[in-house]
Amino acid sequence: MSEHAGFFDAQQRATVEAAMARIIPTDDAPGAREARTIEFLDRYLSGIDFIYAKPDGSGFERLEGKRAEAWRRRVDILRERYRTGVEALDRTARERFGEVFAELPDEKQDEVLSALEGAADAEQEARLERARMQLYGAPVEVALQQTSAEVDLEFVPLLALHTRQGFYADPIYGGNHDRVGWDLIGFPGPESLAEVHSGRYSTLEYFAEPPVHPGQED
Amino acid sequence: MAANRNPERVEVCIIGAGASGAAAAKVLTERGARVVTLERGPWRTRETFGGDELANVNRYNLWPDPLLNPRTVRTDGKADTREELFCPVPQMVGGGTVHWQGWLPRFTENDFRFHSVVGDVPGATLADWPITYDELEPYYDKVEWAFGVSGLAGANAFESRRSRGYPCPPMPMSRYAEKFHRGCAALGWNSFPTPQAALSRPFDGRPATVVSAFAQQHGDPTGTRSSALNVFVPDAVGTGRFDLRPNCYVREITLDERGRARGAVYEDAEGDVFEQQADLVILACGAIETARLLLLSRSGRFPNGLANGSDMVGRNVTFHEYSAAIGTFEDPIHAWAGGGYVSASSFQFYDHDESRGFAGGGHMAAAGVGIPLPINWSLPDRPAWGAGAKAVDREFFDHTMAAAMVVHDMPQHDNRVELDEEVVDAWGLPVARISLTPHENDLAMGRFLIDRNAEILEAAGATRVQRVYIDRITGNCSHQHGTARMGDDPETSVLDRNCRAHEVDNLFVVDGSPFPTGTGANPTLTIMANAWRVAEHIVDTRNAADTRAGVPVGGR
Repeated sequence: MSEHAGFFDAQQRATVEAAMARIIPTDDAPGAREARTIEFLDRYLSGIDFIYAKPDGSGFERLEGKRAEAWRRRVDILRERYRTGVEALDRTARERFGEVFAELPDEKQDEVLSALEGAADAEQEARLERARMQLYGAPVEVALQQTSAEVDLEFVPLLALHTRQGFYADPIYGGNHDRVGWDLIGFPGPESLAEVHSGRYSTLEYFAEPPVHPGQED
Repeated sequence: MAANRNPERVEVCIIGAGASGAAAAKVLTERGARVVTLERGPWRTRETFGGDELANVNRYNLWPDPLLNPRTVRTDGKADTREELFCPVPQMVGGGTVHWQGWLPRFTENDFRFHSVVGDVPGATLADWPITYDELEPYYDKVEWAFGVSGLAGANAFESRRSRGYPCPPMPMSRYAEKFHRGCAALGWNSFPTPQAALSRPFDGRPATVVSAFAQQHGDPTGTRSSALNVFVPDAVGTGRFDLRPNCYVREITLDERGRARGAVYEDAEGDVFEQQADLVILACGAIETARLLLLSRSGRFPNGLANGSDMVGRNVTFHEYSAAIGTFEDPIHAWAGGGYVSASSFQFYDHDESRGFAGGGHMAAAGVGIPLPINWSLPDRPAWGAGAKAVDREFFDHTMAAAMVVHDMPQHDNRVELDEEVVDAWGLPVARISLTPHENDLAMGRFLIDRNAEILEAAGATRVQRVYIDRITGNCSHQHGTARMGDDPETSVLDRNCRAHEVDNLFVVDGSPFPTGTGANPTLTIMANAWRVAEHIVDTRNAADTRAGVPVGGR
């Protein structure tokens, strides 16, 4: 994936990148900035050319028909949410601290994010709660499946979700640079999608020792 | 429709190529019938699957896209409906078995006579099944041996009679399974390796299953897991009598002048509409979509939906609910290894016990936390963002596991699937609307089982245990049953004991819809066994009729 036109302009990109760096901050270990989650997101919002990697890692799927229509709709909705979200970040930053979001120190950026997060009214909150339950598996219940509609999320939870995705998704999507996300949590992900696709990727070495059931030891 | 030339009439038309439809197709074609199956989704091959958490879990690569296939839900008959991807199942050849890890416990004898065992439960519409465990047992055996299920016969102390063991030994033991066994042993409770739709060793010409981390909610690029896609579909195709048509969305079941099913009207990928006529129609769309299709099929004879003179279609729907106690351990659990669901189970609290104060019980098992992969793993108290969230991921991802349970939710008359009055799908048809109120028995059972799971984790040495009780039924198991009950009384059931519609004698349903009760165990083994039973019944009945008419077996 060499050159491609992303979605954000330079100012939007800097603002979102700064916000992502508060979602997963850099400390003694890499954070969103080092993982290049902004690259992941900018690519996602660029259109429908980077929705699904080909399972052997050789590129991206070309979407057609109803599937393509649905993804165009979804990306349009998400773009609008980011447009207005970035505006809200800067507006709130100026109102509270007299500067645009990206220029603020960490703690003040956190305050702005918290303020936006808390601004949702009761109905939005209820919607968020439902989505959170299914999408994150947290905090209310552990979902077996994450199937809620991404498009239902408000800006801050959406940003948190995309930061997390960009931090932990397969590096082919542009984030998780140098596998810093996987390394942070100790996930021995595959070398590449091709390793899984070819059947060479196994996690048997992480099973019990010996990996047999009581009574089956021979 | 008139502009298109309709395909040739066949003996059997099956709607849906998931677990039950593929099982029925295999049995029918192997016994000589010509079958057309209309499947609304694609026929994907293993080359199209991969180890991509983002695509498969988060971006609807396999899950239905809610922008195309919405459903609506209301929590009781009065509340506002909202759009929600309730209880989704992949819509493609193989259905849910494409992306599952396939926990395949059998139901127990008492599951088939649950009403007799527990008596009346206020507000619940309990019913015994019209068939017994013993009647289904031979078909459990057939499915287990067709799939090559890996398990250990006799290890589940509460299992009912079985005619022989499992074809493959249990899957290798994960660390999370080991913890679960250890906790149960310390408490004096029985536990057993979860019977699984995977091969612990080569079986029937197939290699052993690759133990990847990308398994639960991922398709299998190696083709080594056991699924309807990998087993039943190739078997049916191999007979030369199976015409499987993917991307064909059935809009309606049509009737002939005698009120029997004539066939299915479907739209293909190009948007062209055809009618496939058949001697016999089998619905295998899953309990929600089967009810929806019956309700969509209105006629002068059946103004409220096909085979619905009793107003029972869509009612008594049950979904299970999955939740867990979550344990943190000092030593790494690697609960993502194997995908998080190569497990250990217990039926210690499965059977009914009056003294607990609620009816029934459920399957308990070890697992990863949710989908235990980096993006979607979480803990109940993990903050949404910031340094705290990062710390939780870093410290606990590799050290936590779930002791989970399946709630046996009670059927209720007003818990039902209907057609939504406003929302339509991308094909312009009204979507399924689910009305659902949890029964207090469901919530009490959930509390009880999660408390027992917490005890297992504590006994296994967990340093911290969190209990995640349920407060409603969210459909998070993708299990669905009961919308077209089987029973002997046409007033209170849609299907007879052979899953044939009381009101339409050449219409059958073979998915979870016929289940009078949902039981406390994962349903797909039983769904496939029952589909196999019904398919054999169909062929036997037909052959008997042909013998009387002088037609040689297989000679149609």
